[in-house]
Amino acid sequence: MKISLRWLKEYVDIPTDDPLEIESVFASLGHEVEGYEVLQAPFTKVIVGKVLEIEKHPHADRLRFCRVDLGKGDPQEVVCGAWNFEVGDVVPVSVPGAVLAGGLEVGVRSIRGVTSHGMICSARELGLGDDHEGIMVLDPAVPIGVEFTEYVPFPDVVFDVSITPNRPDAMSVIGLAREFAAYYGTEVRLPDAAPATVDRPSAIEVTIEDTKGCPRYVGRQIDNVKIGPSPFWMQLRLRASDVRPINNVVDITNYVLLELGQPLHAFDLDEVADEKIVVRRAHAGESIRTLDGVERDLDVLDLMICDGGGVVAFAGIMGGEESEVTDSTTRVMIEAAHFHAPSVMFSSKRHGLRTEASARFERGVDPNLPALAAARAARLMVDLAGGEALADVKDNYPSVVTPWQVDLEAGEVERILGIPFSRAVIADLLTRLHLDVEGDSPIKVTVPTNRPDLTRPIDLIEEVARLYGYDRFPETLPSGPAGGLSADQRRDRRLREIMVGIGLHEAQTMSFLGQSELDGLNLPLDDPRRAAIRVRNPLREEEAYLRTTLLPNLLKAAQYNVSHGMPDVALFEVGRVFLTEPDPGDARIPHQPVRLGYVAVGRTGQGGLHSSPRQTDVYTATGLARALLAGLGIVCDLRQATPGGFHPGRAAEVFVGGERVGAVGELHPAVGRAFGLEGRVAAGELDLAQLISGRWQLDPPSTYPRVEFDLAFVVDESTAASALVQAVAGAAGDWLEDVEVFDEFRGSSIGDGRKSVAMRLVFRAPDHTLTNEELAPHREQIIAAVTDATGGQLRGV
Amino acid sequence: MDLLHELLTGAPARIDAIVDLESLSALESELLGKKSLIASTRRGLGQLPPDERPKVGAQVHEAQRRLEDLLAARRELLERMAEDRLLAGDRVDVTLEGYEPSVGRHHLLTQTVDEVVDIFAGLGYRVASGPEVELAWYNFDALNTPPTHPARLESDTLYVEYGEEPDEMLLRTHTSPMQARYMEQHEPPVYVVVPGRTFRADALDATHSPVFYQIEGLAVDEHITFGDLKGTLAHFAREFFGPDRTIRLLPNFFPFTEPSAEMHVSCFACDGSGCRVCSGSGWIELMGCGMVDPNVLEAVGYDPQHISGFAFGMGAERIAMVRHGINHIRHFYENDVRVLRQFT
Repeated sequence: MKISLRWLKEYVDIPTDDPLEIESVFASLGHEVEGYEVLQAPFTKVIVGKVLEIEKHPHADRLRFCRVDLGKGDPQEVVCGAWNFEVGDVVPVSVPGAVLAGGLEVGVRSIRGVTSHGMICSARELGLGDDHEGIMVLDPAVPIGVEFTEYVPFPDVVFDVSITPNRPDAMSVIGLAREFAAYYGTEVRLPDAAPATVDRPSAIEVTIEDTKGCPRYVGRQIDNVKIGPSPFWMQLRLRASDVRPINNVVDITNYVLLELGQPLHAFDLDEVADEKIVVRRAHAGESIRTLDGVERDLDVLDLMICDGGGVVAFAGIMGGEESEVTDSTTRVMIEAAHFHAPSVMFSSKRHGLRTEASARFERGVDPNLPALAAARAARLMVDLAGGEALADVKDNYPSVVTPWQVDLEAGEVERILGIPFSRAVIADLLTRLHLDVEGDSPIKVTVPTNRPDLTRPIDLIEEVARLYGYDRFPETLPSGPAGGLSADQRRDRRLREIMVGIGLHEAQTMSFLGQSELDGLNLPLDDPRRAAIRVRNPLREEEAYLRTTLLPNLLKAAQYNVSHGMPDVALFEVGRVFLTEPDPGDARIPHQPVRLGYVAVGRTGQGGLHSSPRQTDVYTATGLARALLAGLGIVCDLRQATPGGFHPGRAAEVFVGGERVGAVGELHPAVGRAFGLEGRVAAGELDLAQLISGRWQLDPPSTYPRVEFDLAFVVDESTAASALVQAVAGAAGDWLEDVEVFDEFRGSSIGDGRKSVAMRLVFRAPDHTLTNEELAPHREQIIAAVTDATGGQLRGV
Repeated sequence: MDLLHELLTGAPARIDAIVDLESLSALESELLGKKSLIASTRRGLGQLPPDERPKVGAQVHEAQRRLEDLLAARRELLERMAEDRLLAGDRVDVTLEGYEPSVGRHHLLTQTVDEVVDIFAGLGYRVASGPEVELAWYNFDALNTPPTHPARLESDTLYVEYGEEPDEMLLRTHTSPMQARYMEQHEPPVYVVVPGRTFRADALDATHSPVFYQIEGLAVDEHITFGDLKGTLAHFAREFFGPDRTIRLLPNFFPFTEPSAEMHVSCFACDGSGCRVCSGSGWIELMGCGMVDPNVLEAVGYDPQHISGFAFGMGAERIAMVRHGINHIRHFYENDVRVLRQFT
């Protein structure tokens, strides 16, 4: 809320005017200042003058010629177009050289042949209000000849304070004044809420049908009001708080709302049918035209104020047009009620109608405030609108809310806050907040009804800490036990280190997908990745589903880079995907496994003068997977496969310990097209949960020389190289150190549909130098095993 | 013997005059070869009287050794000079690029999260993650946020269509549900830091993203105090932003902590005197924190009479933006390689 410093200081002494210092007090009390504005008087060189003579303007019927006493020298001669003042009135006079609101410069001017030395000013010309009907007539007590700036509330500072939702009591000038009083250990000055009253019975009749929705309703009658503009000081304060002045009666209700925090409404009592008020839920089919001019159909849960004829106002939110206070209003009913917060919240949300009143009722207003607020408004209507306040106040308050008691142990304060607080210090701090404190152990604390947030000892401990000052607590460290990263977390970090080390950039993409991204993956209809969980209230249709795979957003990121002039992109991401099956750890929620995804397009490897980078293809994808898993110490097995979304002949499934952990390869060209990528797109996606690194015992390296020989086999085109390698590994015995496919060859010498695969086998014994003779039987076994497993034929090498 | 003496006297000058290895080999064979004075003298030893033989033999040996040393030294010098000439011709422009393996970069968010996590791991915290699609109960109810709380509205929270009950399943709006989950599964003491993705129904703008990272911390134990919260966050601020940083806590409100505070760190750019980074205030708002509300402890079955704790939560994007001068959150999620490679 926005609050004027001058207004605040009317109720509490603040020993500084420095906005920064006041801001820091607000902050230390827990009320964040979003900003502040220093307001200067919107005019200069305006002097308080007294009208000495008024003559008709010789050449213009609608103008008058005045002589005004400015306290020194000769009377000032000015021409004036307003007629609302008389000889003897005290008025603001701008003298030549003055600058008025809006930048108007005042000089000596000839107006229809008569010289005018300045002008007598209206509120609007001075920037003090909208009133332009006549000039401002001031209190006759204002001394003549002084600068008018001394009699206007400038300079002022308007603070925009953010009040946390637990502090409805602070949503008013008086509430914040209480906070400052508690901070400085002083008292607040309450505004005068004692109107002169007239002893006449009020005709108002109040019935509350729904006492849950409306626990209290005060109706207070003011007769003989004269509707007109409110005084400029009130208009300035309302404006500073972003409330538009309307007329004196309406302005007073808004003023008291800001001042005390109690929303009020003023009805034109002559428009309240039968002078009867009924508080009830709306009936089906009812509607109301609210003050903002909108016709609203009501819900049976909407809490309404009704008169003898039907609904007249939205309880706690906004009045209706029918019973609005107008220029012809003479009898007013001030409504000061207490409405149930959830009820106001419901209607406010349902109708999209948020007002100063609803914002306060939603948080909870003190139920014991209405009578005081009605009295305060009555006082102002008597003073400023010439009304007669009836002493007969209708206060319907069936269940009175009384202050409650919270027991607090001093030891608890220390246990939570960490430093000892004596009973005396606790009592002092809480008393500053107008809490009553009695007894020692426990300390019995009585909480006034304007602090609904204080119901438990912990709430009081917070108040102790807040008023004591968070700044004054020491900085200590708890003696935590041993912690650190889990094995999985260390694995994930190593995984990312490896991916970065082998040349990929880490990406972070959104967790959402759109239908078009899912379609773009070219997945079979029964692919589980199509069964994405839908977001009920997505921000955009592109973000309507939770990702079931990391690939689409990685492809989009790759495309983003390509389209921004970076054709060679290799990205990976580690993140959760969302599946429809239940989570293995908590069956109530969907399974959300962590995946590694990667995508590479263009060329990989550094290009330039000396290096020739490779065009990305399937072997980019498989190579990255192999390097990653080798780096993690995981033995993997790539099997030729046709996983969904991938190129039918250029993709593999990755197996670890017999379990499928993911798929890698070239994406189907249709996928590349769908995502706007040209050329071969390498990609992979692996489930991390199954990548478990082992721990090994040292295998001491042999000091003996290695022996190697090559074997080549002619096999069917369909035979995977990995099958040959596995057959070798299975038959070679313990001395085999390494086996590597170093050549693949096709040609007429071998025959159609066949290929030659050449392998280099490396042997080494831990305890002696191997000889060829020794290895000869192994060689025979290996050849037999490969032939057996693949049907291949040994080729002369 | 005069001949030998003459030979040794003249040899150094002759050897030093040689400037190529071929001439040096010729001289070596002249001085030490079969036809040399050394060789002929050694051959003539047998004709000498027996008592002279050892003396002359020693002189020959000494002469041979000295000549060999001189020749070897000269050879080494000539060889080195030859190599120098060769290397001088073998010159390339080393400012051309090398055979450079490509190296990627960790995403700045990951770097930030890891750094924060490591600070707390060093204080003895464990690290937990937790589900991103979460039950409303853990995200709100267990954290003292009643069904009527405005944060639960669809305008703030993204709900997902899963399970039987409407309004039950959502994308977690903070990492705090892991507080409840972790405490349900562990007895105190609990010291845990929870980094992870969180979600809000916010369209992307300079400081908001529907997806963002939070890092939540929770310490629940006997004797945990407000001072411990302050000290822990001060330690974090000094580790993350530098040893001269101070912090301040300002009262605030969160449903799941009491007392609650907003944590500010003194501006690292201007040391608190006020600058653009801190909008002139000297302080940078970093995170919300507070003492865990007794209702939260009760909801997970802890006894708030004996156990207390603190919790804090910060946005990873926010602290990274502050530290690295990033003015728009989109830089984190566009994955522009030109951005990614800047942070190591």
